[in-house]
Amino acid sequence: MSKNMLAGPWFWMRTAPGISIVTAVVVAVIATVQSGPYVLVNVVVTGGMLALVATGLTLMLGVLNIPMFAHGEYFMIGSLTAYYIFTPISAFIMEHPESWLVTFGPIIAILGAMIGGAIAGIISEKLVFGPLRRRSTDNWVMNSFLLTVGVSVLLVNLHQLIFGADFKGIVGYWQGMPVSIADVYISKDRAMAFVISAVIVALFYLFMTYTRTGMAIRAVSQDITGAEIVGIDIEKIVMLTISLACALAAVAGGSLLFMYPSYPTVGLEPLYMAWFVVILSGLGNILGAVAGAFMVALLKVITVEYVGAGWDFVVPSALIMLILIFKPSGIFGSDVRGVLDK
Amino acid sequence: MLLEVTNLNAGYGYLQILRDVSLHINKGEYVGIVGPNGAGKSTFMKTVAGLLSPMSGRVMFNGEDITGLSGSDVSRKGIAFVSEEMNLFVNMTVQENLYMGAYNIKEKKRQNERLEFVFELFPRLAERKKQLAGTMSGGERKMLAIGRGMMSDPSLMLVDEPSFGLAPQLTANVFESLDVLMKNGVTILLVEQNVTKTLAVTHRGYVLENGKIVLEGKSADLAEDSYVRKVFLGV
Repeated sequence: MSKNMLAGPWFWMRTAPGISIVTAVVVAVIATVQSGPYVLVNVVVTGGMLALVATGLTLMLGVLNIPMFAHGEYFMIGSLTAYYIFTPISAFIMEHPESWLVTFGPIIAILGAMIGGAIAGIISEKLVFGPLRRRSTDNWVMNSFLLTVGVSVLLVNLHQLIFGADFKGIVGYWQGMPVSIADVYISKDRAMAFVISAVIVALFYLFMTYTRTGMAIRAVSQDITGAEIVGIDIEKIVMLTISLACALAAVAGGSLLFMYPSYPTVGLEPLYMAWFVVILSGLGNILGAVAGAFMVALLKVITVEYVGAGWDFVVPSALIMLILIFKPSGIFGSDVRGVLDK
Repeated sequence: MLLEVTNLNAGYGYLQILRDVSLHINKGEYVGIVGPNGAGKSTFMKTVAGLLSPMSGRVMFNGEDITGLSGSDVSRKGIAFVSEEMNLFVNMTVQENLYMGAYNIKEKKRQNERLEFVFELFPRLAERKKQLAGTMSGGERKMLAIGRGMMSDPSLMLVDEPSFGLAPQLTANVFESLDVLMKNGVTILLVEQNVTKTLAVTHRGYVLENGKIVLEGKSADLAEDSYVRKVFLGV
């Protein structure tokens, strides 16, 4: 992508990423002008959350070659953890409205969700993925796919068994007046949800690009034997990758608890959407996944706005089919093997 | 003795390739293993490098038992492996690839010293340091693979088929760079199909056939040996 940009903006605009990004921006602007700025706000908030879940998927696919279909359940674990951490905090806030927890309570809940997700990831690696990796040599992709589906069913039903099937939601994280930017009112929760996802995606990108460990993760994704030769501890990197990917999904679940109350299958929608993103943007490409997340969010919001609320899965799915037919590698997909890169 | 392999048996699954292979390398030596296709040369290298666990036998390195250690542990002990397929990180730049080679070195300063050293050895890599490894030519990739091996400041370098898939001119370049390494005091174990060339540059040699060592000795003597001449050189 960066090379194309060097060859001039005009050339870049005619490549697949260029066409789709420009179209997306134009559509977003038109829709905002026509229906009001809330369209843009919705796109940005949904897109930020999708970016988190989709980067996690990208990581699982790029580094471990696992087509992760249980990722929504880590989103669910995140929202559940945040719920159980925030409920006592909010009860405390009711009695002590001057407490510092008014500002930092939600942050604690969201960080707790992140840690919960990471721990859940480590447990799944220890109990399921690790043992499978040691036993299975052939058909890894198929086996691991089936395994993740099983994990998904298990976690959904565990949630139902232990915590019940009802909605476990909160009224909101941050109280007070909505933030106003240029005549648009955004509730604090939504603004913070976006800020959190933006900060985490940026940190994650910097981590992958510049740190020793991030580079080691990329090295494992590109050539696992090569990584072993230079002395990278593969087991450690795998463990770290899984916990990172699950933590990303869980933090999305945690920070969006005010929109999506926790219930057993809350993760399905983010999961499907994240898979749309991954297919749309091409497998294993972090920046592409972020751009794709906002495109899918836009598509979803536009569909709800102009076609009808029941259609928000139909239109993206139809688009995915078209993309698979005409550009199977995805919009940002590269033909070079070795995935997790610009 | 830097490396001492005793009665090594190894293979893939139920298929045994190596049968009681024993060899040793002294510090500062340049040793070659030659043999026909399928003799088990690469299997031997992979087993010593820790990518394959042996069925039985013992590998001692610097007086330490390293039998059955994982590839990353072996690398941490100071053995660099340049594999036949090179196993480069194709979507990283040359410089990033080299830094990954120094993964076991924690201090940035020493990493940069190593980088300077490798760039001095292969000025070509310095010119291309911002290029993606996947976009380089075969010869350059080989250089990069050897350079990446050198980054960890190894006491022993295992080089597997450096001439594989290269044009004769490039092969000569690669052999030259190995010569330079040897003069810099690196111990090298070289595995090659190109028997004439290998026996011309190395100090000592082993002949591996059907997973067994059939001959060993000074390279110059091996090159004159009637069996080697008959089987490998066709004279």
